[in-house]
Amino acid sequence: MQRSLRWWRLALLSLPMAVYVAIVAWPLLDSFYYSVTNWNGFSADYRIVGLENFRALYSDPLVRGALRNTMVWTVAAALLPNLLGLALAIALERHVPGSRLFKSIFYLPVCLSAVVVGQIWVWIYQPDWGALNGILGALGAPQSQRAWLAEPGTALYSIIVAWSWQQTGLSMVIYLAGLTSVPQDLVEAAALDGAGYWRRLWHVVLPMLKPATVVVVALSVINSLKGFDIVYIMTGGGPFHASDTLAVAMYDESFKRYRMGYGAAISVLLFLITLGVVATYFRELRKLDELTV
Amino acid sequence: MPPGAKGALLAGLSVLAVLFCIPTIGVLLSSFKGTAEIAAGHLWFGTSGFTLDNYAEILSKRSVYQYLRNTVLVTVPASVVSIGLGTLAGYVFAKLPFRGSRVVFIGVVAGMFFPAQILLVPLFRLFLGLGLLNTLWPMIIVHSALGIPICTLLMRNFLAAVPDALREAAILEGANELQVLLRVILPVSLPALAVLGTLQFTWIWNDFLWPLIFTQSDDKRTIMLGLVSMKGQYSVAWGVQGALSLVASFPTLFVFLRFQRYFIRGMTMGSVKG
Amino acid sequence: MSFLKKVGAVLGALAVTGTLLVGVPARAAGKEVTISHYFTGDLGHDAITKIFADFEKKTGTHVVDSPTGHEDFKTAILVMAAGRNLPDVFSYWAGARTQFVVDSGALRPIDDMWKSSGLDAVVPAAIAKGATLYNGKRYLVPFGYHYAGLFYNKKVLAKAGITAAPGTWPEFLAACKTLKAAGVTPIALGSKNRWPGQFWFDYLILRTAGPEYRAKLMAGQASYTDPEVKAAMKLWKDLVDAGYFAKNANADDWTDAADKVSRGDAAMTLMGTWITGYWDGLKQKAGEDYDFYEFPVIDPRVPKAAVGPVDGLVISGNAKNAEGAKELLAFLITDTQAQAAWAKAQGALSPNVKVDPAGYSSVMRRALDVVSSAKAFAFNYDLATTPPAAEVGLSMFAEFMNNPADYPQQLARAQTQVSEVFKKK
Repeated sequence: MQRSLRWWRLALLSLPMAVYVAIVAWPLLDSFYYSVTNWNGFSADYRIVGLENFRALYSDPLVRGALRNTMVWTVAAALLPNLLGLALAIALERHVPGSRLFKSIFYLPVCLSAVVVGQIWVWIYQPDWGALNGILGALGAPQSQRAWLAEPGTALYSIIVAWSWQQTGLSMVIYLAGLTSVPQDLVEAAALDGAGYWRRLWHVVLPMLKPATVVVVALSVINSLKGFDIVYIMTGGGPFHASDTLAVAMYDESFKRYRMGYGAAISVLLFLITLGVVATYFRELRKLDELTV
Repeated sequence: MPPGAKGALLAGLSVLAVLFCIPTIGVLLSSFKGTAEIAAGHLWFGTSGFTLDNYAEILSKRSVYQYLRNTVLVTVPASVVSIGLGTLAGYVFAKLPFRGSRVVFIGVVAGMFFPAQILLVPLFRLFLGLGLLNTLWPMIIVHSALGIPICTLLMRNFLAAVPDALREAAILEGANELQVLLRVILPVSLPALAVLGTLQFTWIWNDFLWPLIFTQSDDKRTIMLGLVSMKGQYSVAWGVQGALSLVASFPTLFVFLRFQRYFIRGMTMGSVKG
Repeated sequence: MSFLKKVGAVLGALAVTGTLLVGVPARAAGKEVTISHYFTGDLGHDAITKIFADFEKKTGTHVVDSPTGHEDFKTAILVMAAGRNLPDVFSYWAGARTQFVVDSGALRPIDDMWKSSGLDAVVPAAIAKGATLYNGKRYLVPFGYHYAGLFYNKKVLAKAGITAAPGTWPEFLAACKTLKAAGVTPIALGSKNRWPGQFWFDYLILRTAGPEYRAKLMAGQASYTDPEVKAAMKLWKDLVDAGYFAKNANADDWTDAADKVSRGDAAMTLMGTWITGYWDGLKQKAGEDYDFYEFPVIDPRVPKAAVGPVDGLVISGNAKNAEGAKELLAFLITDTQAQAAWAKAQGALSPNVKVDPAGYSSVMRRALDVVSSAKAFAFNYDLATTPPAAEVGLSMFAEFMNNPADYPQQLARAQTQVSEVFKKK
């Protein structure tokens, strides 16, 4: 019995969508509702204040700073772990001796929880006995030693490095999976046509990795925008808000300053920014698209 | 590969790998040292004070095994369900698109666009109302649902790269969509499924936010929450925390090692050529 | 295909485990009290678990306890409050934070229990007044409290030739100078998590402008740009400029600073009595390796105040077992055995005057004497002023340690933000 395509669409989509709407979409909207109130979390009553929270957001220097930091992190996130992950995947996909060991070493950080990652990097950045300053000293560059997490100029970047350390393995793994779908015969044909290694890489392999790249970039950008645990463990958003991101600002407002309404407004802002970034990315991709829908 | 480049590549990889290992070695070191040692600043370069006490302590605590058991009971079902639901949705978006499906797809993927803290209060209320607080159900359900966006994204992208010819041929032979999905498409998507399986397992395993909200008594807690709770308001337990975090990461590493052979090329070449 | 078979097997296992997972949401009959608290960490957790067991033995009421690390506790308790499902009892910080919760109508007053348990005779008056009364009613039972003093490494001070604890500001400055000349950093401060810096602010203001002015400042009735505050900050800046503070305060946690002192790299740190619990855990000996002295007097006309936080327990407004909750609170504060065990585990002082001081270490006994004879007991900054304002101040202290010279502008900025907070009230 052949059911119509429409029937199948409904049948296959209904369960995932039902779960998604019930557990994610509806609660999200419910949470956004509080952004137009002045709720403090504890009391049973609150007032609707319209767009007042959003107006305050606009002129709040802390939110501006958090926004700036979030943007910096996003750009770094789109580039750093993904380029490194791609290079590693390409290098390890071939039969390099010990490739399994290498893969495990680069993937292991992904297995560690953010709590552990944050703590160990705190111990790496420790000014007096940490590994980084220790290595710098041993290399004969003591003037480069700093209090990495305590100086407003370096705190955010130090966190981004720690985060990238963990994210790289993720990109590598997705690229590895993507490389399995690059048809060998295409590559071989190019070789037979006289294309060298780098030519083959650039013209044959990389274009076929576009679906994987879409996922990898989207994932790292989204993860960076959500980045919370690692910031909290390493600096708490400090020193004095120098490494705040929008996610941290949202948490602080909601749970420490008892301003759940304002915190919800920040989360709306964060959501819209992410939506904007990713939608733009997908749209640009569609313009250059040859392979996928 | 250009000759001679192989040696250089190996050297470069090795250097990078060593650098990459430094933090992990740090965690390893901390697990073998007492809190006093670490407090004295001897984590990296001190050689005295190696101890197995930390491991002895966590392996002798009954609650640790309870935590691990709970974490398994949450992680495995949630991973399976989220991947399953993501595959169903991904298949529709990739192979059976309709007008507006792109918008719906972005709507689903948008479910990843925010830190989970935003959902804390609404979901707490929901499960309170359902009377499911302090059981393992909320964690399973929430993780299954929160995994749908990423699973849909990944599966849709990989399934889109699978040639339509495969599906059309199967339909001509009389298969319906579900059979196409299960018998023809899925076997070809093993790398993607393996990646998702690894990632979902890792993320759900390492989460402590939902256990924090949904569990009240100790016997329902998961391992990550146990890890985070080791820090007292006025005390620290570096050594034991280090040991516990390593023990807690063994399962995710194990899953990776078991699944990673599906990432190796050669697995699927035959059918794609079709 | 075997992969799919594995999937099928797992799904089958899921169905089986599903039946095992339907947990027991609530105990059917039998009395029980739910409590959420932030007393985690080895010693504290073991001690309190035992105390709950004693309570159950005495009364037959089971305590369902949910310990959470105090940072995560802030999240968890707020989510429970927002979901209108607070536990019967929960721990909370006395002072402005509890005031906030009281004003939100989430707590149940306990005047009746206070009277029936005769707590007026059990809790010292100063603490009872400041920590338990809100809007004229009793809401909180103190569980343990701490005192902030200058804890120092005895051997380091002795080696530098300092025999008497500095009692006045000039003596303190002289001691710092001596220490610096001897090659030791006088003061360690670990303000990575911002809060340790507050004790300096607190004492400098208390010793110069007095407790009454400070209370006004905490309540938003004075300004951070007042000359009193500027004068206090100037004193702090002088200390930093003279090089008396260890470098990179913002890179260290309070435990790092404590470690500096116990290692001998620094001489002293201004910290609460819980540092004794930390140091005891590292096998330091009270009275031999470490001791403390009070923050020096700056203006002899100003009454000497003691600063410290009070950990308390409160009952939620819609507690399911309010009677059991009151019983538990009464037990926790009046049972001297529980109190003594608890104080010991936390490095805290017991708010129960009947607890035998002999159970304390020599250092803690001295702390008890100081607090008992103090003219006023004040909560530290982030418990004395309303939470949104506290956030501003704490960040300012960290910013100050990064760039002390900028303090007038920092104070001005802080005042702008704080006045916004108090305006909304």
